[in-house]
Amino acid sequence: MNTQKTIVTIGAGIAGIESSVALSKLGYRVILVEKDKTIGGKINNYYHLFPNNRPAVDIKNYMDEQCRIHDLTIYKNTEINKVQKKGERFSVTTSNDDILKADALLVATGFEYFNGMQKEEYGYKIYDNVITSIDLEEKLRSGKQITTAQGKEPKRIAFVHCVGSRDEKSGNHYCSRLCCITGVKQAMELNSRFPNSLVYCFYIDLRMYSMEYESLYRSAQEKFGIQFIRGKVSEVSENKEGTLQIKAEDTLSGRPLRMEMDLVVLLVGMVPGQGTEKMKSVAALESNSHGFLESNDWQLHKNSSSQPGIFLTGACNGPMSIDETMEHARSAAFEVHTYLQNHSKHE
Amino acid sequence: MELYNQLKSDVRFIEGLKSCMNCGVCTAICPAAEFFDYDPRVLMSVIQSKDNTQIEELLKSDTIWNCGQCMSCKTRCPRGNCPGLIISVLRKLSQEMGYFTESKKGRQQYAIVKAIGKTMLEHGYCVYPEIVVPAAHPEQGPVWEWVFNNKEAVYDRLGANLAMEGAGTLRKIATKNLAEIKAIFDQTGGTELFETIENFSRKKAKGMGMMKEDGKMDNYTEGLMNG
Repeated sequence: MNTQKTIVTIGAGIAGIESSVALSKLGYRVILVEKDKTIGGKINNYYHLFPNNRPAVDIKNYMDEQCRIHDLTIYKNTEINKVQKKGERFSVTTSNDDILKADALLVATGFEYFNGMQKEEYGYKIYDNVITSIDLEEKLRSGKQITTAQGKEPKRIAFVHCVGSRDEKSGNHYCSRLCCITGVKQAMELNSRFPNSLVYCFYIDLRMYSMEYESLYRSAQEKFGIQFIRGKVSEVSENKEGTLQIKAEDTLSGRPLRMEMDLVVLLVGMVPGQGTEKMKSVAALESNSHGFLESNDWQLHKNSSSQPGIFLTGACNGPMSIDETMEHARSAAFEVHTYLQNHSKHE
Repeated sequence: MELYNQLKSDVRFIEGLKSCMNCGVCTAICPAAEFFDYDPRVLMSVIQSKDNTQIEELLKSDTIWNCGQCMSCKTRCPRGNCPGLIISVLRKLSQEMGYFTESKKGRQQYAIVKAIGKTMLEHGYCVYPEIVVPAAHPEQGPVWEWVFNNKEAVYDRLGANLAMEGAGTLRKIATKNLAEIKAIFDQTGGTELFETIENFSRKKAKGMGMMKEDGKMDNYTEGLMNG
């Protein structure tokens, strides 16, 4: 009976793939639609994962393997342009003008990185030695030598927390949750590459919400000598030689600081992805005040959207880590399964 | 709580403080914080605590007179607060309650009323050459002293029209326009505020033994800007 039911999953990042694999295991037919030419989404951007330093490529390989084993149908370079509900079934029009029939939809359209240029006071794309955490991850992943724009080894490095998070000025009132631990991980990574460097993290509150994150924070202090300064950076400016001057208050000692840095890394937050934005209009899905897709029931049905038969998985629902995304994806599959079973009963 | 409620009744308070998470970005951008023992973040924390004793201390302190009202804090605060506006509210209350006479920088309010307040009403200018007396403004240096002593010739040479009829920089402002400025001060409470500051200052000068029998308080005034 299950084999007659079809689910269209929108987005082939880790949430979309894992939930589709789970549904495939339950005997459903799944069609994955991906706007990019590659699958995996943001996992392709990472080098080592917190909290265990595992290579991100492990996860990517697992995803590729699962897609192959379960013989998932994947439409790449494809977007969803229209969603119509006819009776109990959905009719989905793709950017290639294909019409896909589905009994349920799974939205896995994910997140985007906050655009660091919006915080102009930090000088991203203005000063060459200001980069984002995503740029740094790419540098680490590519295996190229990390230097300042002047080709020197960075001796003094600052991480700026909460760039585009907890910030009314960027329009993002929420905490992106994962930038804190990303900062700790990257600070350790840079310090191990440049043992003579001084690495500072400027934070408002450190949100080490997993047991392992707190351990990592402690290691960063004890084993790597990373300095954590409680204060939000107010601005970055460039010296003649291309080094950077940053201003912050050390709020714990109540003193304003000016410090010279060779490299400044902006820990950019998470915002709703383009695909997530599109789903709001295409499928009339409601979003919360932060722009992420709204769960129908925060406690009991996190994966249900505001529309019956359309389910949510992954960071389209809000910032989440890889392990949380995997759980979210499997629970989404189960919610879809329950929905489809109940529907076949009533038919 | 009582003082907090008084602060809250000022319309600027609503824009000035919603809630503060103590990130310190206001202090990090604040030019005054670089030079003085002044921390706008701590100030916001005190107000947020609603503690009457601490707020009273602030109203009587030098602290609230350090801000230059540049409002850079407004451009940075991630919670949309503006410590600069809270300063405005604190200053107003300090003036109204007479607490400004309890600190040295606060007492300078009297000198400001007497100097800038006076020139605004008498000449129609905030800063007017005759009030920047070199002896009281050593920071202006010898060049200003020379300009001050030769001001008629210098302003004439520079094309200004100092204290004369007709058009031009520093021209004489017509009597009817000065009357309008005075009317604005009367209507908006400016005149009353000047009087309040003067009354509290006279009381303080008396208390400090700096008022002569003829009611003059030269010692008090001279001591405000220097020493």
